[in-house]
Amino acid sequence: MRRRLPALGSVAIVAAALSVLPFVLSDYNVYLGAEVGVFFIAILGLNILTGYTGQISIGHGAFMAIGAYVTAVMSRDHGTNLVLTMLVAFAACFVIGLLVGLPALRLSGVSLALATFALAVSVPQLPLQWSNYLGGSLGVQASTKPSGLFGISMPGVAALSNQWIYGVAWASSALLFGMAWLILRGRVGRAFRAVRDSEIAAVASGVELGLYKTLAFGISAAYAGVAGSLFVMASNGFAQYQDFLVVLSLQLLIGAAVAGLGSLWGILVGAAFVGLLPKISGSVPLIGSDNGRDIVYGLLVILVMLVLPGGFAGLLARLRSLARGLNRESIPVKLRESSSQ
Amino acid sequence: MPRFLSPLANVQPTVYLVVAGAVFLLVGSLDSARFASLTVGGVGVGAAYGSLALALVLIYRATHVINFAQGELAMLTTYIAYQLVQWGLSYWEAFFATLAIAFVLGTAIQVTIIRPVQHRSVIGTVIVTVGLFILIDGIASWRWGGIAYAQLPSPFGFGAWEVGGVPIQHLYAGMFGIVLASVLLVWALFRFTKIGLGMRAAALRPAAASLAGVRVDAMLALGWGFAAVLGAVAALMYEPSQFSGLTPTLMQTALVYAFAAAVLGGLESPAGALVGGLAIGVFLNMLAGYAPQVVSLEVPFAFAALLATLLIKPSGLFGQSQVQRV
Amino acid sequence: MSINRKKLGALLCVAAVGIAVASTAGAAQQGSPGITKTSIKIGGTFPLTGGASLYATIAYAEEAYYAYVNAHGGVNGRKITDIVRDDQYDPSKTLPLVKQLVEQNKVFAVVGSLGTAPGLATWGYLNTHQVPQVLLATGDAYWGTCTQKVGFKPKPYCKTPKPWTMGWQPDYPSEARLYAKQILKTENNPKIGVLYQNDAYGQNYLAGFLQGLGSHTGDVVDKEKYNFGDSAQVVGAHVGALEAHGANTVVIFATPTASIQALATMGGVLHWSPTTYLNNVSANRLFVLDAEQNGATPNGIISSSYIGSQTATPSTPGMKLAKKIIDGTHNSTLIGDFNNGDNNIVYGLAVAYTFVDALKHAGTTPTRASFMAAIRNLHEYKNPFVYPGIGVQTSKTRTFPMQQLILEKWKGTAHDWRTFGSVIGTGF
Repeated sequence: MRRRLPALGSVAIVAAALSVLPFVLSDYNVYLGAEVGVFFIAILGLNILTGYTGQISIGHGAFMAIGAYVTAVMSRDHGTNLVLTMLVAFAACFVIGLLVGLPALRLSGVSLALATFALAVSVPQLPLQWSNYLGGSLGVQASTKPSGLFGISMPGVAALSNQWIYGVAWASSALLFGMAWLILRGRVGRAFRAVRDSEIAAVASGVELGLYKTLAFGISAAYAGVAGSLFVMASNGFAQYQDFLVVLSLQLLIGAAVAGLGSLWGILVGAAFVGLLPKISGSVPLIGSDNGRDIVYGLLVILVMLVLPGGFAGLLARLRSLARGLNRESIPVKLRESSSQ
Repeated sequence: MPRFLSPLANVQPTVYLVVAGAVFLLVGSLDSARFASLTVGGVGVGAAYGSLALALVLIYRATHVINFAQGELAMLTTYIAYQLVQWGLSYWEAFFATLAIAFVLGTAIQVTIIRPVQHRSVIGTVIVTVGLFILIDGIASWRWGGIAYAQLPSPFGFGAWEVGGVPIQHLYAGMFGIVLASVLLVWALFRFTKIGLGMRAAALRPAAASLAGVRVDAMLALGWGFAAVLGAVAALMYEPSQFSGLTPTLMQTALVYAFAAAVLGGLESPAGALVGGLAIGVFLNMLAGYAPQVVSLEVPFAFAALLATLLIKPSGLFGQSQVQRV
Repeated sequence: MSINRKKLGALLCVAAVGIAVASTAGAAQQGSPGITKTSIKIGGTFPLTGGASLYATIAYAEEAYYAYVNAHGGVNGRKITDIVRDDQYDPSKTLPLVKQLVEQNKVFAVVGSLGTAPGLATWGYLNTHQVPQVLLATGDAYWGTCTQKVGFKPKPYCKTPKPWTMGWQPDYPSEARLYAKQILKTENNPKIGVLYQNDAYGQNYLAGFLQGLGSHTGDVVDKEKYNFGDSAQVVGAHVGALEAHGANTVVIFATPTASIQALATMGGVLHWSPTTYLNNVSANRLFVLDAEQNGATPNGIISSSYIGSQTATPSTPGMKLAKKIIDGTHNSTLIGDFNNGDNNIVYGLAVAYTFVDALKHAGTTPTRASFMAAIRNLHEYKNPFVYPGIGVQTSKTRTFPMQQLILEKWKGTAHDWRTFGSVIGTGF
């Protein structure tokens, strides 16, 4: 029990820092901070699936798209309160995630990666086909009208200031982080990890494989849905399909890997990596102009994967074991090599 | 029957399916000139998808990883060829020089950034290839992105042969011919040479191969080299067929279809990848030609087919079923 | 266990603080940033790299014109700084860049940004924050219809008015109407096939075209839509469908790549040469030359223009000035493209001219509001880079600045466009 204390301390320090930031940063940087919060939630969700149950998804951008369109369309058509749209996005993506998780039971490893890739490629095309409802290439613009919830008046999805978005994003992050921590430390979390480490061994010890794999998909998708909903709020309430192309799914995977799979303690770093670096690296003077953006970012992605195989969480674990004077590597996850065999 | 083709022996129905498809296209083409024109164009561009898919399959067989950078690497080679032509080489000189450069590039990438991660985790390796995707895209945009009208001329011109009343463009025939030739060469290399044997052994049974004196790491690097060559062939053939000049985004859509082709063919099967590429090329053309109401759904359709394949027959049309190891 | 509860408490604290932060929403901005006694800072997003980088020259030409103006004393003593950002024509990159321009760089206005989708991605934001989004380099009807409710039923995308947004070039529906009228005027028995891009851009053109045909919409034998990013073979399959439906007149409402692919397919693959209309966006001389290299036979293609041509009429005063300004950049690529007839460069100069014109009329100490008032009251009949006789005018009721076009035909022997007829009004 005592060894949990440092973790608690760091959570408190990080939480305090995140609470102070919007008051000291410039307006634009507050917006960047909010974007990091959006990625935090999506990567947290992806980590539950990929890190804890070992199912690779290259399709979480599709769930973000669904959450985003839920929020934008509900706000456009009914002026729905932003918190309610987030709850609906969560529920809708949970159900869709379960439905996607069922066929995914037949797949694993690279096959699953490619199937989810198909999802990431296909879902953003749907608004074009059903353009009357989903806005087609015009996108969907949410309402600016404020609405009340439990007597508290809130701005419309499209009228949020950067500080509002920051607050909503990080408050949601905190709640969802707490929820993930509670889920993963209990029976469900143990079942998840058993599935990841060996499916056959897990079945042998009485874990209902189908139930837990599908459940992980549902929870994970629901997180991505909330992230999508917040993404729309940060985009001035505007959803268009180009925001959710396969690049976004790949960004989430990068973020999860940089954070470190199978641990919750690196996610902030992973989210900052994908949320901030592509924007900051544009101003690297060496190459000049915005062209440098991709070169610097691509190089860093490769370097981090070479130097920190366990991501930031792996680094933390290694530092901790060093501090304890133990000379053993403890990287949080050893993913099965070539899991398709 | 050569081992390379042995998957065919196990899945007779697939062979019938492919033959039936070919007969259908042939009869349809003889019946309607428009059908023929759609088929010819589809086969031409499908050959490029197939070649890129084959590159993916080679790497998948060797390292059990899908290489997201395969398309961008191929795109980069079109700029290399363009640069060589600018420096005064003829088209075909530049073509073969580019293939050589692609080989070196592919090998070097494996040695420097893939080898250190490939034994750690599948996800780690996939993400390195995603990083490589971003990096190559950035380099191409930075170095050549500002040249708006860069173009490699079509080596085949715009003529056409009339075969039974059906025009067959030199462009598409040339694409198909070059892709087929390079695929056959790579196949012969794998099948008949000692290096090829070593590469197959390293891919299938790394531990056993290592015991038998095969330098597994070197073999895997060579595999990446040959994959890069096939990707370069795909891109160099694809670029002139798009009429629109060089652009860093040249191979991004093609890569998506190459993924679909590789899965359709079973990820492990070279022949399957090629047939899958041709099938997707023809399918997309037919959809555009005969079902204009649903063109917004062309990508979802292609991937619904992919998902169905994965779910009904996870090993693909040409694959062998796999045994789950604990 | 107690520690866990504490941890939960900490988490709830974060949530509470977050909500507290949220409720102290930022105050509304006062005054107009980006402007001092000696300088004015503007910004814009363009595809400097990537698939649409053919348009990058617009940004470079605008910068060249501002440099020219600055060298001649600026506007009311203010030098213009233009921050050009590369969004690669990817609207998901545009909004963050525009937010950065507004919130970090504190630009006075967003000027000339390119593209329909990037424009749509940002107009909500810019109007909410009352930042001018003017002279957009896209001709969709949106930029002029949402200003106020004049003559138009408010569309879904106009739910909130967009008074801070304004386009520049003739709008696509008007251009398409012009082609429809021209077909009805010149063809006896037209069987029209339309190829259009499957998005707002293509639909804008198509809607205007059908409107222009009026009671003759039955002359359209086939409408084919392609998706942005389709392979040349799929675009070609759609062109083949037009031929199969018996079209003798083809109207292309596409983006440059697909237009080149369609023309190359018609000439090089199908060997089919119907009467062809090509939208202005795809009619840059360099695009057509590109298509020609790939087997197209563009002789006789009809399109329209509204700016001067440095290859067809290099000796007009406007083109001489354009050459002087572009040569002054010492940018060899830009100069080469200019000399080869990249009319995007002339376009960029013309847009920059209009911006400077509006700024001059915005008062000695312009604010965003006074600037918008000035740009909504333009009487610009002598923009040297615009086709002679075409004016740039705006008023309370006139929200599309340019409402005139000149038809042009590709002359195969000269490898260039030649205008014909007289300037035609396209007004509603």
